[in-house]
Amino acid sequence: MFKKIPIWAILFFSFAFILGCNDNAIPANKVFAVKDLAHKKVGVQIGNTADIYASDFGGDTAKIQVERYSKLTDAIQALSQGKIDAVLCDDQPAKAFLRQNQSLKILDEVFVEETYAGVIAKNNTALLDTVNMALKNLKISGTYDSIFNTYINRSSDFHYTQKVKSENKLILSTNAQFPPYEFHSANGIEGIDIEIARYIADYMNRSLEIQDIEFDAIINSVNSGKADIGLAGFTITEERKKSILFTTPYAESKIVVIVRDNNKISKTESIGELLHKNFIKEARWKFIVEGLGNTLIISFFAAFLGICIGIGVSFVRFAHETMGGMKFLNTICKIYLAIIRGTPVLVQLLIIYYIVFSSVNVNKILVAVIAFGINSGAYVSEILRSGFKAIDPGQIEAGRSLGLRFRHILSHIAFPQAFKTSLPSMTNEFITLIKETSICGYIGITDLTRGGDIIRSLTYEAMLPLLAVAVIYFILVAGLSSCVARLEKRLKKNER
Amino acid sequence: MNAKPNTIIQVQNLSKSFGNLQVLKNISLDVYQGDVIAIIGPSGCGKSTFIRHLNMLEKQDEGKILFNGKDIYEKGLHSRFVRERIGMVFQQFNLFKNLTVLKNIMLAPVTLHKMTKSEAEAKAKELLNKVGLSGYENHYPSQLSGGQQQRIAIARAMAMNPDVLLFDEPTSALDPEMVGEVLKIIKDLANSGMTMLIVTHEMNFAKSVANKVLFFSEGIIKEQGTPQEIFENPKDERLKEFLSVIH
Ligand SMILES: Nc1ncnc2c1ncn2[C@@H]1O[C@H](COP(=O)(O)OP(=O)(O)O)[C@@H](O)[C@H]1O
Ligand SMILES: [Mg+2]
Repeated sequence: MFKKIPIWAILFFSFAFILGCNDNAIPANKVFAVKDLAHKKVGVQIGNTADIYASDFGGDTAKIQVERYSKLTDAIQALSQGKIDAVLCDDQPAKAFLRQNQSLKILDEVFVEETYAGVIAKNNTALLDTVNMALKNLKISGTYDSIFNTYINRSSDFHYTQKVKSENKLILSTNAQFPPYEFHSANGIEGIDIEIARYIADYMNRSLEIQDIEFDAIINSVNSGKADIGLAGFTITEERKKSILFTTPYAESKIVVIVRDNNKISKTESIGELLHKNFIKEARWKFIVEGLGNTLIISFFAAFLGICIGIGVSFVRFAHETMGGMKFLNTICKIYLAIIRGTPVLVQLLIIYYIVFSSVNVNKILVAVIAFGINSGAYVSEILRSGFKAIDPGQIEAGRSLGLRFRHILSHIAFPQAFKTSLPSMTNEFITLIKETSICGYIGITDLTRGGDIIRSLTYEAMLPLLAVAVIYFILVAGLSSCVARLEKRLKKNER
Repeated sequence: MNAKPNTIIQVQNLSKSFGNLQVLKNISLDVYQGDVIAIIGPSGCGKSTFIRHLNMLEKQDEGKILFNGKDIYEKGLHSRFVRERIGMVFQQFNLFKNLTVLKNIMLAPVTLHKMTKSEAEAKAKELLNKVGLSGYENHYPSQLSGGQQQRIAIARAMAMNPDVLLFDEPTSALDPEMVGEVLKIIKDLANSGMTMLIVTHEMNFAKSVANKVLFFSEGIIKEQGTPQEIFENPKDERLKEFLSVIH
């Protein structure tokens, strides 16, 4: 039975692959001017000003049906697949997307015009002054024009390289899915905002550290002190002004409308071309490898921590249930279990990152290990506890009648049996754990899922990166299951 | 205060209730070195509860239990000291399912530093020989019949070299054809001079092995005496009725 599972999985993934290759029946474009947006499905990025404008558009009679995406690339993909009718976004990213995606076009009519500025924590006016001075120098020195020519006009090849190397860091919070302002390339994260940040860092005699997180998490990150400055194409709005300080504007932008181009039928790429584009070109497979490494590290150490916590908690509860006493510890354990099992793991991860470790600059992988370890510990302990419950009390009495102490009974008799009965459920818990680590992207860790996402944001192509990620998760889980099945077989020989 | 020179256990005015149910009512008993005491009586009358008190698996509400003249709950006397000296064999065998036969027997003496590993192993093999199960060292409990498991349980209790052995219906959970093999082991132990208290429904066995029989009923020792007195010349009405039903 088990041997056949991989075959079914291969069939399933192949089926998904064929579906993905088959882009039939994409509806024709019906948006030719801004007024046509009324009653249409329009994609925006969550937190982007286009979201605000789009929601206000048309009053009550000509409302836009706004579809919010956490990444612009997802919105672009949805548009080319015909799931939505238009995408509203800033003009420079729009141009960058269109260079990759020939079947789309930008309407000549501009949706709205606006300016970009950096964000700084509400109370940090000293830093604001310094950054504004740096921005002023940037413009006066002509450096800004050179950067602009490189990325926007594409007429030069100037790049600002940082000169200062210092222990003292300027932490930049951004969302590297917004070309040409910030995006992933083979050399890491690049773009206009990044070079501006390097210039500011030099000006302040610090070295630059980049924190790549979700767009709607940046303001939070800056305000909580996780980052010093946020540069991510932020438009100045009254709403945002309430929670954050804006630097002087450093760029102007328009929000434009992207639609499908009825004249250009998308040319289908061969599988070879797709594979090359997604994995080989610019060594993009490295994103997957890096992500896989982080997923493995986080899963492994979180599982280890979870087992330690789980064993400790289940011992306390078992001791309390068989011998009485330990009332205080038992109550603490029960509170821990209630909290962990009563809240989503994503919320726990965010709380640990943004609240518990808010003032210390701690390694994010470590944060993830701690968050998932604490989470998993609760489930492991409950699993072990039911394992303890399954032991008949007669064996424990027999141990006591021989003069064995509680800890002897625990270590020689109760725990080995509880562990063995718990093994199948524990495997399930660790399978869940591996898959749950896919939310690490929320705190800016490049895990396996996010590695695939980065490729997606570079190639505007969903199928191959997602399928590759799915297949790797599947192999991880299947590998774990078969290891445990082998362990179970070995343990089985001594009972029933 | 002083124990008689050859008393091992003295039970004085023992009472025990579970909630509103008084299970033991003011029970007293002296157990002498070499005694083999059979405890009989209808089920639910408190036989198990009584015998479990001697192993500190239950704690009395009132009264005292002296072991070698000392109160077993005396401060400074660790419960495990008493339990090491008094072994117990249960109706359901209660072997450790995750351990082999050999390890079941060796666990307590080795863990409690009574013997070195090799001493314990030698002792375990000797006991296995005694209970007729040499060659079963590496079997797990689940691979053995009930009778074999109970014989291992006896060997396990014996491995601590106890002064007293308690049996709580050692053959009640066994198929009839296995009862004999277990009773034979207990009989051998009795002949070797072991002090024992045995709760049992095997009247013929009680008659042949015990030097004293206690009849429990409704939480008290209704009648006690030699096997002849109890089985051939019972006085208490309830005892007569009990014996007639059981035969
Ligand atoms: N732990 C316990 N809690 C409550 N009632 C108990 C407990 N143990 C025994 N009893 C009750 O005490 C009475 C005597 O039980 P027991 O000593 O097992 O009788 P016997 O061994 O003579 O059949 C029974 O009514 C039983 O239900
Ligand atoms: Mg009983």
